[in-house]
Amino acid sequence: MSFLFGRARTRTNTLDLSKQAREHVLKLEVPGKAEELAKVLSQMKLILQGTPESDSTPDQVYQLVQGLIEEDLLLLLAQHLWRLPFESRKDTQVIFSYVFRFRPPTASPKTDPVALSYVVNNKPQVLLELCRGYEHKESATPAGSVLREVLKNEAAAAIIMYDDGEEPGSSLKGVTAIERERPQSGSGVFWRFFDWIDKSSFEVAADAFTTFRELLTKHKDLVPRYLAVNFELFFDRYNHVLVQSNSYVTKRQSIKLLGEILLDRSNYNVMTAYVDRGEHLKICMNLLRDDRKMVQYEGFHVFKVFVANPHKSVAVQKILLMNRDKLLNFLSHFLEDRTDDEQFIDEREFLIKQIRNMPPNPVPPTRQMPQGA
Amino acid sequence: MADGAIASHYQVLEELGRGSFGVVYKGIEKATGEVVAIKHIDLESTDDDIQDIQAEISVLSTCASSHVTQYKASFLRGSKLWIVMEYLGGGSCLDLLKPEPSVFSEPQIAIICRELLAGLEYLHAEGKIHRDIKAANVLLSETGKVKLADFGVAAQLTNIKSQRNTFVGTPFWMAPEVIQQNGYDYKADLWSLGITAMEMALGEPPHANLHPMKALFQIPKSAPPRLEGSFSKDFKDFISQCLMKEPERRPSARELLKHRFIRYAGKVEALQELIERRRNYDVTKSKKRSRPVYQETLQTMSTKDEKDEWVFDTVRSVMPRKATVKSRKPSSVFATEDALRQLDLKDGPLQPSSPATGTARKVTARRQPSVTQMTGTGSVRGPPPAPALRKPLQTDLSFGNSGSSQRLFRRVPSDSSASGNISWPDSNDVFTNENRTPHAAEANSKEAMLGRRLYSKAVDPALSELHAQTSALAKREALAKLSDAFATLDAVDPEGAYHMMQNLMANMGHDHRLSNAFLKSSTPLKSPNSGTQSGTVIIKSTPKQEVPSPAKLVLASNNPHLESHRRRRESTAVDSNGSPRRPVDREKAALVAKYPGREPPPGMEHSKKITDLVYGAWINGLRMRWPDL
Repeated sequence: MSFLFGRARTRTNTLDLSKQAREHVLKLEVPGKAEELAKVLSQMKLILQGTPESDSTPDQVYQLVQGLIEEDLLLLLAQHLWRLPFESRKDTQVIFSYVFRFRPPTASPKTDPVALSYVVNNKPQVLLELCRGYEHKESATPAGSVLREVLKNEAAAAIIMYDDGEEPGSSLKGVTAIERERPQSGSGVFWRFFDWIDKSSFEVAADAFTTFRELLTKHKDLVPRYLAVNFELFFDRYNHVLVQSNSYVTKRQSIKLLGEILLDRSNYNVMTAYVDRGEHLKICMNLLRDDRKMVQYEGFHVFKVFVANPHKSVAVQKILLMNRDKLLNFLSHFLEDRTDDEQFIDEREFLIKQIRNMPPNPVPPTRQMPQGA
Repeated sequence: MADGAIASHYQVLEELGRGSFGVVYKGIEKATGEVVAIKHIDLESTDDDIQDIQAEISVLSTCASSHVTQYKASFLRGSKLWIVMEYLGGGSCLDLLKPEPSVFSEPQIAIICRELLAGLEYLHAEGKIHRDIKAANVLLSETGKVKLADFGVAAQLTNIKSQRNTFVGTPFWMAPEVIQQNGYDYKADLWSLGITAMEMALGEPPHANLHPMKALFQIPKSAPPRLEGSFSKDFKDFISQCLMKEPERRPSARELLKHRFIRYAGKVEALQELIERRRNYDVTKSKKRSRPVYQETLQTMSTKDEKDEWVFDTVRSVMPRKATVKSRKPSSVFATEDALRQLDLKDGPLQPSSPATGTARKVTARRQPSVTQMTGTGSVRGPPPAPALRKPLQTDLSFGNSGSSQRLFRRVPSDSSASGNISWPDSNDVFTNENRTPHAAEANSKEAMLGRRLYSKAVDPALSELHAQTSALAKREALAKLSDAFATLDAVDPEGAYHMMQNLMANMGHDHRLSNAFLKSSTPLKSPNSGTQSGTVIIKSTPKQEVPSPAKLVLASNNPHLESHRRRRESTAVDSNGSPRRPVDREKAALVAKYPGREPPPGMEHSKKITDLVYGAWINGLRMRWPDL
């Protein structure tokens, strides 16, 4: 009998846990509540993870997931994450990642996990709140870890990128409500990343950047389309907030990411549009003269895209031609101490050759259409 | 940036040491008065992805256990990343192992193991694997508290990516399943713990007399090491439990905490004895050393170094190269940091292991002098870059550079170097060594240059390789001595080295049997001059070396000294051995093709294989990258 009894007890507990947690979260400021919440959260974690003695049962997990959804606890935990005690923040992170991965044993592996699909369709705020975890240094790391896992799901990424508050077509009404062709106002949660990355302390900024990079590199359909529609807004912010950031790490990493975005095949159209602009080339050439070598180096990898482009715009040609001698001289001594970096040396030589062989006057480009465009 | 302000919360005090990742300072958190350790990582000096560093920091920041070195904060200041950690004044177990008798007692080991198991139990419950447990990564507080250090960071903050991806850790301590790379879990840490326990009991881990790469092959192949000798049954059993080759049979940290050997372990305060022992050792050490040749600035400094440095194990002994280090106020240290770090970075613990690194490094080091010599401004040449680097076989007991997988390679018995001033058991002696550098000859003549080249390209790699393949201590010692002697010769009289080899070759050429045995057989296709040997040796022993950067070969081709030498050598070559010229011609043609309008790099014919390899890859790479070309 005892095993039956034990089972029954855990079952009620499982159902109860979410209710308890909800009560505690809402009264966090009451002394003692944080500790009680911590206990509940660590129990939840054990149910999800199992213990060395007993594995977790899909049954229990399913109940817990249901409970979390019913009590709207995912949203509450995301909102209050930064206020939780140290261990509870870690527990919450574990809970989120288990819950967002959970599929009932009967469901096909192709379907979205239950909780994730619920959030994406009915409760996008959970994801947006997780992003806002970057407002506080306490919640940045746990929220960031959850986000990066969730972002592998394209719908979840779309929720974040297309959040635009109450605007029509914003992701706030769920993933199906998104209007992808409507330009963003620039006040949605995605655009907050620029500030988080630029203005936060190292730990927060670096985590936010990692998530930002995931957002921009993971989904080869979503992102090119997004960047095409929001080209001006995006690159204006990117170049002025991130590339010009006072933070060395932000600056260096965002230049590198810019290069990666441009050279990603799926972003071909974005790249050609980007390297047509004389403005962009100017920013890039200034980077070559930055007083930090690694910034110069990352800048080089963007610069090379402009120069290697066989269909340079007139604006770009003009700038290059105006500076031809300077550039040739500059490049021949550029980062001379990188003697071991063969690829760099080759590419530098290649650029010198390209610039040297440019016709003396700008020639309007004859662009072929890219394959498949 | 919010970060700028945080830096002012800390007052930076003296330097504790430097590691592959940067410099560690002692500091004080102004608000609390708490002593902390602050690592400065100059992100400018690393190509490494900052993201990796950040990932490690976020792992660190989620650890909170009294058995793990506590992470406190990290922030940016310019291009420097400051990581603030708990300060542990007792030093690492490796440092503490140093004073005679170079082992810990069984009760002491039991205490340390218990504390480590508690730390591992915590990490493993958190889903984290340390991956680099060894005496060097176990830190003690002044009161004897034992903490795991360099969790992840040591392995991840260095800049060799491939190693990180394949396996992390240091060969001698690696579990078989880690080496075999068919997946491993937290049980790997317990193997490493067992090895660490043996390290503390015996002074070094099993297989320490092997080259690390050899150890990599040995560990999965051979039966698990066993603790032999006059140790208790419990201790021996504990070791054998840790060293179960099948991870499934190896107990977990929690289970091992119940082992008899652990259950009866004493209090951590007992470990203060070890710290005391080390302090006394340091005191006597610095007394002994008050005599040596160097100026007092270095004296005062080095005692300071000695005292503070060993606090951090991952930190290698400082080898200040320039006078700038004399004034050791924090402010000026900032200024000189960069210059110093560059040297250090190359010594990074995760560089490919020994012979390859050693020699590869030498090659780059050489390049500079040769440039200056060619332009005739030999004076620019400073002390030969780090005599330390030139002596891979040298006994190097310097503590603190333990992150290095090369460490034990160098750790041949201490008496091997007892002969005279070439031995430099720790950083202090490096100064002495610096002292000697003025004697180092400028390699101005062509003979001298060739002598240098002979040493760096042929003799040294050959000796390194041989040393690596030798396991008998006496033989290793002898080889080490020979290597030292040659290094000295190279430093003092490279020309002499050249002439010696010339004579050697000539004499061998005269003797029928010798010339058959050495000259012909080894290089049937190449011109039979001294160069050939170096070529084969390089190819055989240190594959890394066959890929010098093209820039260097170009350089060599312009070298007038080499050119004249070639002419001379051609005649001697015919004398000693009338082998056909044809292969050389072919090589020449190949080289001419690659350098239109240029003479084939004289003296480089022997490296045909190398050039082909290098340029083949290079040109292919070019084509792949820029098909339009």
